[in-house]
This record gives sequence, structure tokens and C-alpha cells, in this order.
Amino acid sequence: MKIKRILIANRGEIAIRIMKTARKMQIETVAVKTAVEPNALYLSFADTVFDNTEDSSDIPVFLDIDKLVDIALKTGADSVHPGYGFLAENAYFAEKCLQNKIEFIGPSPDAIYKMGNKTIARKIAMANKIPMASGHQGNVSNEEEAVKIAEKIGYPVIIKAASGGGGRGMRIVRKTEDMEKMFQIAGKEAEKAFNDPSVFIEKYIENPKHIEFQILGDKKGNVVHLGERECSIQRKHQKLLEEAPSGALNEKLRTEMGKIAVQIARAVGYYSAGTVEFLLDSEGRFYFMEMNTRIQVEHPVTEIITGLDLIEQQIRIANGEQLRFTQKDVRLEGWAIECRINAEDVQAGFAPDPGKIEKLSLPDDKYVRVDTGIQAGSAIVSSYDSMIAKLIVRGKDRKDALQNCKKALDKVWIKGVKTTLPFFRMLVRHPKFQSGNFTTAFIENLDQYHSNSEYEEMLAAWLATKLFVEENLSDESINIDFRNSREFSPWLLNKRISQF
Amino acid sequence: MANDKLQIRKLHTLSSENRKFSFSLPLRHSIKIGNRNYEVQLKQDDKYGTYILWKNRKYPVEIIRSRQNKYEILFNDISYTFTVETPFSLQRMKVLSKQKGKADKEVVKAPMPGKIIDVLVREGSQVLRGEPIVILEAMKMQNEIQSPVSGHVQKITARPNTNVMKDDILVEIKVD
Repeated sequence: MKIKRILIANRGEIAIRIMKTARKMQIETVAVKTAVEPNALYLSFADTVFDNTEDSSDIPVFLDIDKLVDIALKTGADSVHPGYGFLAENAYFAEKCLQNKIEFIGPSPDAIYKMGNKTIARKIAMANKIPMASGHQGNVSNEEEAVKIAEKIGYPVIIKAASGGGGRGMRIVRKTEDMEKMFQIAGKEAEKAFNDPSVFIEKYIENPKHIEFQILGDKKGNVVHLGERECSIQRKHQKLLEEAPSGALNEKLRTEMGKIAVQIARAVGYYSAGTVEFLLDSEGRFYFMEMNTRIQVEHPVTEIITGLDLIEQQIRIANGEQLRFTQKDVRLEGWAIECRINAEDVQAGFAPDPGKIEKLSLPDDKYVRVDTGIQAGSAIVSSYDSMIAKLIVRGKDRKDALQNCKKALDKVWIKGVKTTLPFFRMLVRHPKFQSGNFTTAFIENLDQYHSNSEYEEMLAAWLATKLFVEENLSDESINIDFRNSREFSPWLLNKRISQF
Repeated sequence: MANDKLQIRKLHTLSSENRKFSFSLPLRHSIKIGNRNYEVQLKQDDKYGTYILWKNRKYPVEIIRSRQNKYEILFNDISYTFTVETPFSLQRMKVLSKQKGKADKEVVKAPMPGKIIDVLVREGSQVLRGEPIVILEAMKMQNEIQSPVSGHVQKITARPNTNVMKDDILVEIKVD
């Protein structure tokens, strides 16, 4: 093995995930200690900790290319694993590592660049006859042209801002009569939001499923796919729950989509782990969306049904090794579900709820895997994402996995912040989710993001009454966990002080 | 005062959705479902903090805030807001609410601390329930603050590119 020491250019659960595999492979690791979370759990998994707490730069270290390369050189790391987020899909970072003779554990800078740029990725896909939502290359200048295009590709169509994203400047048009109005609104919105009124038109895929394929390629040109992940449970393009495989695919469709995924990876000479995202419509037609050139948050569900360690594969590929198996050897067995337990308030539209984790207890049953970078006492800080833990459960089939998921969710115990747990507890009991027949519109069509039994509300009411009685009508006192850090009841404080 | 305490035989605990839960005093540590009483135990230990043990299951409980007779409680990760009323205060509340009539103004507050990115309405604009009115950025995520009611925008306090604290008033809407 040429790779002997890896700099982990990341934090949290993914840093730990990478270091666990490195340890198994007897490779040393270097982690970076930051001033934001100097006591973070991931630091205890590293062989060497680089202290960057004195860094006064405005850029967080995990986004600072020069600094990271410098740390790698200083600590004698021969390779860098970027994890996900931060610089994981930054072609310049990958390039800079290679220039300094540091192996980048990921794809080539060229592949990152090509797939990262939407226009180039689309052109490559088109040249390779990859199915895509039909559209028009380039911008559309007026309503007449828009109508012509829409009639050619068929309604409904979606008008999108050329320089945009995030839903703004986007309008769905279902018939010719609406085009003029919608075209003008989209243009105006685009101008206001992005200082650029240009728009383009694409076929609108109604209520699709988000299906993505995990692929692995080596530097010798071998590429295989490891089946799909179902990621339709998402809110504003943020995935909340993923499963593998997807109930929407039969063997024929899986083979077909997998072949296309491998084909697009080959088109950019892809090596390392990557993900090809598709939209799948209700008729079983699928459309290439984009390729993610990194390890994904949801990679564990694929690991569970394939029995592979994807981080190990990434390291071996970066080391120059050939894949030890072919497509024929890939077996998908059982079912896996991942719930992203985040510090978010589902009762306030999934608003982030940062704070200190006061108590934390996670299930350790055989059917559960938990990936986390948090322990009791850790803080969910607003500088980073709101993830507390990924709860990954397995089962022999979907029904079994769902049953296990229900049990595992009831065993998770977190205090100090509000979490996405109430959402998942509702979701796993939702008939539509249970049926498997749901699309990316599932969450937006919900009336409520959580549910509770009337008994739970009654017990909560009992507790409020109990508190009132203790405070106002009795001389005794009780101590209940209180969000001290937020708003402190002066009344309770007085009462507590008076006890001494 | 001591006499007052003795006179209260019942407490009415109202949820924010106006559901009423009544409890006799002295407060029993049990809840009746059908004909059976189930014991409610309030416990605490180092591993779990405070919890309620009911029908052999532990439920995490936390107080998020409490003020006078108002309690925001987190029970099994879901928050509930209650006001606890005595029979007298409940009566007084009923009289007051009759005099006041229906609230005609809705005050939209910041659900979390953050930065105002954009205000999507103007004073006088008509808004529909659920329509986004303010974009608030917190933890690098842009959050749409939606109008809780249909009506007309009466006053806008939120200014783009300014920071707000939780519960700062953003917009006031006159209910149609």
C-alpha cells in the first residue's frame, strides 16, 4: 500500500467513518482541530491531530485549499480524503493535491470539473445519448419561441432561470395560454433574484422519484454499479431518508439504469466512488439529472445491501489497485433505511435548532448501524450542518427493515435540541410511505410533519399541570430538565435559589 | 392566600389549539383511559435526565420555557404549549375573550435567530395563507417564513440584510 497516512479534510461523522476504515486497513490518519469545536468526537479517532485552533483566517479551514495542502505536507500525509461537502467536489483542490504529490482520494480533477458544471455535464450526456428531460439548448428569448419549444417537447414544461437555482425564477407551464404570463413572471423573478433575466425551457417531469445509482470505477477503466438508492423523501432538495434498494425498480429497470450510470461515468473517465442521479417518472421512464463526484451522506445503505466498504474501495482505487470484482459479482441482499437525525424543529418547518446535546442514547441492536460525530455534551453549532446522527437499519426485506426502523427510532434519546425524530416516527407509520408509492412531492403534500397520540398530549398536559401545582400550590419542588441556555424562567430561578 | 389554595379543586389545562384537559386536585399520579387508571411516574437519572414512565415506556420530557401559568413542554421530542387555569381564571378568560372578539391582527415573528435575506411583500400587499413573505437565513439554510393567515400586510418591521433574534416581530398582517 502506497497510501500510509491520510489527512481527513473534514469533520463530524464522515471524518470518523473514514478513520474507522483507515484503522482497519492499518493506515494512519491526521485530523484537524478547529477553534469552533476543539473537543469534537472525531479528533479522538485520529492518530495525529493537527491543532489549527490559532488560525485567524476568515475562511474555515475545511474550505481553505492552501492551508489544507500545507497541513498535509507538514504532517507527512501522503493522501487527502475530502469526505462530503466542503471541498469534496472542488476540482482545483484535487488538482492542487496532485501537484503537491498528495493523492486525492476521489476522482480526477477533470471528472470533478466536467460533472460539476451543469452545461458541460448536459452536453456530455447528450453526446452519449443519455436520456434527459428534453429541453432546449441555450436560452429562450421570447414567448413565441417558448411556445414553439413547448409544443415540440410537449406540456407540461418548466421555465428555469439560466443563472439560477433554489426554485426562484422557476415556473411550470401546463398549456399554451399560460405561457405568455409565466414566461414574463419567470424572467422578472430571475432578473430580480440573479440580475439576469435569461431563462431556458425543459420538459417538466411530473411527480418523479429521485433514484440514484452508486458507481465505482478504478484507474484501469473498470466501472461497476452497486445498485440504486431511493431518495425521494426530501424537502427543498435536502434528503431526509434514503433506502436501498428502491421498491420502484424491477431487475430489468435496474439493469437498464445501472448500464446508463456506468456509461456516463465512463464518458468522463471516472474513477473512485460516484453517484449518478436520475428522475424516474410514474411510467418507468428515467432522466439523467446530475452526477455527484464524492462519497455521499447516504452511502451506508448501499454498503449494507452490498456488503462492501465504500471508503475502503475509494482508498484502494486511489492507491492504484484494480477492482477485485466485476458487475456479475455484485449481489444486492436485504433492505436498508437511513434516517438523518438532525437538530431541526419539525414543528417550525424544519428550522435548524442548534444547541448543546445534553443527553444522548442511541440503539445498539444488531439490525442498527449508527454513524455519528456527536456525543452527550457536544454542541450542534450553527457554522456547520445540523446533523446529529445517521440511524441506519437493516432488514431482510422492506417490511422487516421498516419494522426495525420503528423500533430503533423509539430507542433514540436526545435532549437539548429539537430533532427530526417526530418526523421519522410519523413517516414510518404513514400508509403512503409504507406502500412505497411516493414521490419527491411527498413532504410538501403533508399537512403536518409529525403526529402524536392523544395520550401523549394528555401526558404533556398532566406535566404542565404538575408544574403549576408545584410552583403555585405546594411547598415542594421538582426539578425538570430545562433549556437553561435559552430563556430562563425568573420564577423557577427564584424558587430554586430559595431552596438553598 | 392559604384559603385560596384550599378552594381550588380542579385545574383546566388548555393546549394552544384550545383543547381542554381537566385535572382534579390534589393531582393524582395516574391517567384514566376507559375504566382503567394508568400510573404516571415522573423520574430522573443521569443517563436520561427527566422522563415520564407510563405503561412501561420512558418518554423524554423537558421544559422549553415557562412563564406564569404558561408552559412550553417537550414531550417525546414534540413541543406543546399549555396554559393552566383555575376555575376562576378560566371564567375570567371567557368573559375577556367575549369582550375582545376575534383577533384581527396576526403578528409574524422570527422562528429562530438569523439574517433577513429578503422581504417578499410590501405594506398593503394582499397575502394568502402559506404564501412566503420573508426569507430568513439561519445555519446557512434559507428558510421561507410563510404567512399564517390570509390578509393584508399592515406593517413590515423586517429589513433585508439585518440580523434578528428569535421572536423578533417581522411582519404584521391584518386578517381578512
